[in-house]
Amino acid sequence: MKKGKLRVNERRKTMSVYFQIEEYHRPRDLAQAVDILSGFGNRARVIAGGTDILPRRAGVKKIDNINHLVDISRLGLDYLKREGDHIFMGAGTTINTIGASPLFLSGPYGALSDAAGAHSTSTIRNRATVGGNLCNASPCADLALPLLVLDAILVAAGPEGKRHIPIENFFKGVNYTALNNEEVLVEIRIPLCSEKTGSSFLKLRRHQTAIDMAVVNVATSLNCRENRCEAAGIALGSVAPVPFRAKKAESMLAGAKLSKGIIEKAAVAAAGEARPIDDVRSTSAYRKKMIAVLVRRSLESSMRRCGQ
Amino acid sequence: MKKMDIKIHVNGDWYELAVNSGDRLVDVLRDQLDLTGTKEGCGEGECGACTVNLDGKAVLSCLILAVQVDGCTILTIEGLQRGSELHPLQKAFTSESAIQCGYCTPGMIMSANALIYNEPEPDEDTIRKNLSNNLCRCTGYDRPVKAVLKAAKDMKGDTNV
Repeated sequence: MKKGKLRVNERRKTMSVYFQIEEYHRPRDLAQAVDILSGFGNRARVIAGGTDILPRRAGVKKIDNINHLVDISRLGLDYLKREGDHIFMGAGTTINTIGASPLFLSGPYGALSDAAGAHSTSTIRNRATVGGNLCNASPCADLALPLLVLDAILVAAGPEGKRHIPIENFFKGVNYTALNNEEVLVEIRIPLCSEKTGSSFLKLRRHQTAIDMAVVNVATSLNCRENRCEAAGIALGSVAPVPFRAKKAESMLAGAKLSKGIIEKAAVAAAGEARPIDDVRSTSAYRKKMIAVLVRRSLESSMRRCGQ
Repeated sequence: MKKMDIKIHVNGDWYELAVNSGDRLVDVLRDQLDLTGTKEGCGEGECGACTVNLDGKAVLSCLILAVQVDGCTILTIEGLQRGSELHPLQKAFTSESAIQCGYCTPGMIMSANALIYNEPEPDEDTIRKNLSNNLCRCTGYDRPVKAVLKAAKDMKGDTNV
């Protein structure tokens, strides 16, 4: 065993303020994690992969007053299994694990596989978790969109036990979710879809570099029987404070005979439901136009995947 | 800031270290272990200069707290060399002139090392995708891609992480 050299020089002193945190906690089980979170209120935050919280806390960009980190990455929350009529996904499952899983290769869940592949770089995806992507509640969270069209149920653990939150009720605002301070997202449940379902995800970036966040991103799902659509899902990202379902556009497709025309109409309707802003990545007007294009392409792709 | 004792396996040796709760892995590697081959570029996960291998996977050492890797195995650019001989990736980057300023190189090589470990015969497309983890602003990517292709061929699956 080597003892690490401890060079406490000036440089090191300045380096150590880069990321200030009073205490790091590694609870031995979920109950202890909830206990610690309850004790520190809004001064504590859950950490798993850390790929969102570290840059958010770094240097001059320090944006909050969190002093305690509660690490849930060793609580056995990384699992993927298909049992009964659900797929169960631990909140600590890394995005690369999801992208590589054969569970999501088939038509109904293809959107999840697409989104996992489009999320950042593989070095980040090796650490970033699905739970973190959801709890960070970014308007452009890639994995939120397929999980929205797949009607995922989120399981949160708190002092009073577990509760189920439909993903549609989870996002409350930018970086703000339905979770209380003392709650931990532990599992994502995806109801099994009929084999006649197809889903897909598309993301537009500025430079098509892996790291950039979306200008707009969309996921769609279609359940078709002989070209007749029984149910449709359209989720939009980066065009409102939270990722959301474009319900009006969905209702235009439900029960309709699928054609180029109706898909185009639904895509335009979805763009009408978007409320984008101007920012460094894009203008509001461009985002609206691109929503229509991406929704159309994604619906076409979902249609091809039906019954695959 | 509370100190914590951790044990990490770096480049073949175990180290016992006392680290601040907020120290990132890149801070500990560079400042406590003097392994300055790992570079810090942007410090927020965009550039890939700080890429190291953690339990066989390429990860960004600026986005991991040192306390989070307690008990884990880490390989940095300094640990690639085999005795006095350079690693095939290091040799290929040199022979293919895939280095100019060299700041992104350790990250690129560690990213490629994990790729070859997990996929011993990557095709060019896979390599290009993999190298998009790492931003290079001077050499460009053609030569690094060639270098990784050459190294993968030379290594024939003989990898270490």
